[in-house]
Amino acid sequence: MPFQNLLTVRGLTKSFTLHAVDGRVVRGLCGVDLDIVEGEHVALAGRSGAGKSSLLKCVHRTYVADDGVVVYRRANGDAVDLLSMSDSDVADLRSQEIGYVSQFLRAEPRRGVLDVVAGAARRMGVDEGEARDRAADVLRRVNIDESLWSTYPTLLSGGEKQRVNLAAGIVEAPRLLLLDEPVSALDPANRVAVLDILSDLTSRGATVLSVFHDIDAMRVLADRVVVMEDGVVVDHGEANQVLDRNLERELV
Amino acid sequence: MLRVEGLGKIYGPGGPADVEGTGPEFGRSVSPSTGAVVGCWDVGFEVAAGEALGVIGESGSGKSTVMRCIAGDQTATTGSAHIRTVDGGEADVMGFDPSRRRSLRVDELAVVYQDPSEGLDLHVSAGGNVADRLTAAGWRNFGDIRRRAAELLARTEVPLDRMDDPVSTFSGGMRQRVQLAKALANQPSVLLLDEPTTGLDASVAAGVLDLIRDLLQETGVAAVVVSHDFAVIEMLTRRSLVMHHSRVVEAGLTDQLLEDPQHPYSQRLVGAARG
Repeated sequence: MPFQNLLTVRGLTKSFTLHAVDGRVVRGLCGVDLDIVEGEHVALAGRSGAGKSSLLKCVHRTYVADDGVVVYRRANGDAVDLLSMSDSDVADLRSQEIGYVSQFLRAEPRRGVLDVVAGAARRMGVDEGEARDRAADVLRRVNIDESLWSTYPTLLSGGEKQRVNLAAGIVEAPRLLLLDEPVSALDPANRVAVLDILSDLTSRGATVLSVFHDIDAMRVLADRVVVMEDGVVVDHGEANQVLDRNLERELV
Repeated sequence: MLRVEGLGKIYGPGGPADVEGTGPEFGRSVSPSTGAVVGCWDVGFEVAAGEALGVIGESGSGKSTVMRCIAGDQTATTGSAHIRTVDGGEADVMGFDPSRRRSLRVDELAVVYQDPSEGLDLHVSAGGNVADRLTAAGWRNFGDIRRRAAELLARTEVPLDRMDDPVSTFSGGMRQRVQLAKALANQPSVLLLDEPTTGLDASVAAGVLDLIRDLLQETGVAAVVVSHDFAVIEMLTRRSLVMHHSRVVEAGLTDQLLEDPQHPYSQRLVGAARG
């Protein structure tokens, strides 16, 4: 019963046609199947170029898939195919249920840190006053000092930016969170703090599909690991088992 | 809130036959047989309340023609535009006679132009420009009008001690703020913004852009933002159209158009902006 899943991916293919290079076609995904049940954290592993980020971006509709289906079960129980949904419906779903956090801060310019995070909560439907309280709370949890809250994010260090970005992504936890290397720039102490928060999210029911380049993060957070190579899934299963057997094959 | 269908504009005499041989696949907007200029053709889109739609493309691609036809500044050759709050969405507002069009522009459909002299009377004070729009909507009490104008100008961050100065004495960025105050005076359902920050110094443009972003969020107006600048489109909109040689070549989520553009022209445009 695949549609009992929160997310069911079948036959997902994605290629890039480079019109500026004589229409050269670069293959990204070559038929990906994936099942995620509600409340699960699934991590995508594999060498760079294996298609991990492409998969996340196709699910988020930042990339246009060539073929396949991505069935998402909404909070109201309806199953919808994200790939064939209208742009407006996808935009609405993004502001209600599906979040994406990249490794780079994509906050709006010239807006203070607290406003950036509170604004993200507002877009998810939290009202003004409460949005600021929640923003303050999540910023404390990712160790962003209160003295920085009115600073523009562009003036922060790489690691601070990454934590602000994550704070904005989880201030109102989406049902499905797509995480693309969210701890790549963090020092060990902050990395631990962020991993704690992410682990807390799934324990409170959020479902996560992630890409981490760091194996320890996958061991700590993921229920299952899916290994990709050349645009297809080559292995999947319980996180530690999959990681152990693929470390030897150097696929992760 | 706003639904536009089959919008086309051909300059000068002529008709749909002039469209043949134009468009992206022919690389031109001028008819090879008749010489007629196709401003835009077969343009359609919908915008919901509280949503902003971007229209992006280089100069001459037809972006502003689309805007001007919907606003009634130019007469469309073909197509229709419906606004939900106008006759329950039944009426084609592009077919309105001049007097209905004027009242539409007062109450329901506001435009902010790149050139402030199109949206404002530069010889009149900032307060007077805003008051003009309120009076047209039936406001009669001088004190009320003055209070409301001051409130709008304060919201768009025009210093109130300059309220009685003619707009011609204002800087470019300040003129755009007055245009915004005037445009929003009667809480329109639809707001069209045509290159609202183009031509301003970078830091001034940034401030105006911040203000527009906040106003769109606060008012819940359905907005169409025309710009050749990806930064503007990215900040203000969630969906966009790409125009080239008077046609829409691609429509999509704004982040998708920027990260995975499909049409060869969109790829060139994004490549040039990012390269």
